[in-house]
Amino acid sequence: MRAFRHLSLSDALGIGLILCVAVFSLLLLVAPSIIVVMISFDTRAFVSFPPEGFTLRWYAEVFEQGELVDAMLNSLQVGLTVTLLCILLGVPTALACARGRFRGTTALSVFVLVPHMVPGIVLGVAVLFAGALVGVSPSIWLQSVAITVFILAVMVRTVQSRLVRLDPALEEAAANLRATPFQSLRTVTFPLLMPAILAGAVFTFVEGFDNLSVAIFTHGFRDRPLPVELLALVQYTSSPLVAAVSGVQIVLAIAALVAVSLSIGLDNVND
Amino acid sequence: MAEASYTAPLATRGLGERLVDALLSGRGIWPAVPAIIVLTVVAVIPFVILLSLGFSDMEVSRGAIVSQTFSLQHLTNALTDPLYWTTFQRSMTLALTTTALCIFFGYPVAYLFLIGGRWTRRLILVLTIAPLLTSGIVRTYAWLVILGGRGVVNSTLMSLGLIDQPLRIMNTHWAVLIGMVQIHLPVMILPLIAVMSRHDGRLVEASANLGASRLGTLRTVILPLSVPGIGTGAALVFTLSYTTFVVPQLLGGGNYLNAATMIYEQVVYSLEWSKGSVSSMILMVTCLIVLVAIALVTNHFTRWTKGRDA
Repeated sequence: MRAFRHLSLSDALGIGLILCVAVFSLLLLVAPSIIVVMISFDTRAFVSFPPEGFTLRWYAEVFEQGELVDAMLNSLQVGLTVTLLCILLGVPTALACARGRFRGTTALSVFVLVPHMVPGIVLGVAVLFAGALVGVSPSIWLQSVAITVFILAVMVRTVQSRLVRLDPALEEAAANLRATPFQSLRTVTFPLLMPAILAGAVFTFVEGFDNLSVAIFTHGFRDRPLPVELLALVQYTSSPLVAAVSGVQIVLAIAALVAVSLSIGLDNVND
Repeated sequence: MAEASYTAPLATRGLGERLVDALLSGRGIWPAVPAIIVLTVVAVIPFVILLSLGFSDMEVSRGAIVSQTFSLQHLTNALTDPLYWTTFQRSMTLALTTTALCIFFGYPVAYLFLIGGRWTRRLILVLTIAPLLTSGIVRTYAWLVILGGRGVVNSTLMSLGLIDQPLRIMNTHWAVLIGMVQIHLPVMILPLIAVMSRHDGRLVEASANLGASRLGTLRTVILPLSVPGIGTGAALVFTLSYTTFVVPQLLGGGNYLNAATMIYEQVVYSLEWSKGSVSSMILMVTCLIVLVAIALVTNHFTRWTKGRDA
């Protein structure tokens, strides 16, 4: 078979060029994060490259700044609330979408997807206005619910794609063994769904923690989440403090990545 | 005997469990009802309200709406205001350029994924998914460090003696564009990879066996088959970059007004909620138009491939 793969000069050049662009793009993806981490250890009080010296001072300072710690805790709360709501609302919805024997399962899938396809800022503005109309002012709860609606589709899709690929024979076996539908759901389907739920939980948590587009309109006046706090900090500070916050977030992202690859595997993120 | 063991489990089931069975057997729409209610209250109704606010005059006081009357004034004002036109035009150009560049830089990565071995594939997945789990602000901040006056680009160029003065890259259109492309690149790569990993590997082999060069195979087999992936990626990148707030705000230096930053100022700073509603609606409608166009183009080229196969 190799004999057929003659590599002409123009072919080699073309493919080489494409692969060069690919490598450049991959470097482009990773380089900024590496540079930020390097900067976060800089001893100088302004951002400059290449960094000089090594200090953990900025990391210490992150946890000494009351507003930053509060913002992190707020975002943590939002992230956890969003995740919990998405599991409670999303997993049953995925069941209905994948297993439903009623007309309009497709319509239901689309309905869940719509808030996710709408630009985040439009959803944020809409929720803010609707809240104002009925007297619900922006708060950490409004923010959590709005982000839940925004990201619910991701949980539904992750669980649904796993459900569709489950071997129906397993549940039939459970039914043959006289398991009630609920028993079979609890003892057969749920354990098999756990990896997908976990992966969905990681994505919804990250969205709850990091979302800015919805949060910027719906967050509470006093309960500023981390992205809103960071946005202000980036604009008005020039020390490597922000780099240290970024460093912390990058560590969290790596943890999330490991969680996803252990639960459903990175290859299945797309489905 | 059989009779008895058949009824036994049913008899031991309480009302609660039977209710749960009915709800969770997964055959009816019931499991989805809570989600439908929440989505209706927190998404559908707010959108209707947003629409109604764009068509009305109102007074806002202390974060609540005091009075509201029907009016087309805000819509006509917006459509005749040159500021709106230039702002939306700027957002549109920026988003379309970003989308095109993401295809240009993303496609080769997907091709490398296709021809790469197990570890290459794993590396590409890690490098593509990791940024998606990091906040957009962190990723944008990195560009402040790279493009700033004492940043990576300027210090490298100056130490090489290519320039004497730091170049002013930050707070320009170019800084915004570079940041946009890098931040949205993963969103383009993932759908491409998804489509490519569903390819039948034998097609590529068949093409090679028939004497096609690698470029020829790429052009006549791989590229046409990956059109749906390009379409999905383009739609995602366009929506995100058309409506993004962070990158223009941080890399454009406060005075780079795009649609999202304009809406933010109208809603949060100047409290012109009717204007904000109208801007949001224009943003959504224009976004939708481009998405439909992308879908039509994708569909056209997908059909062309199918027709060719037949």
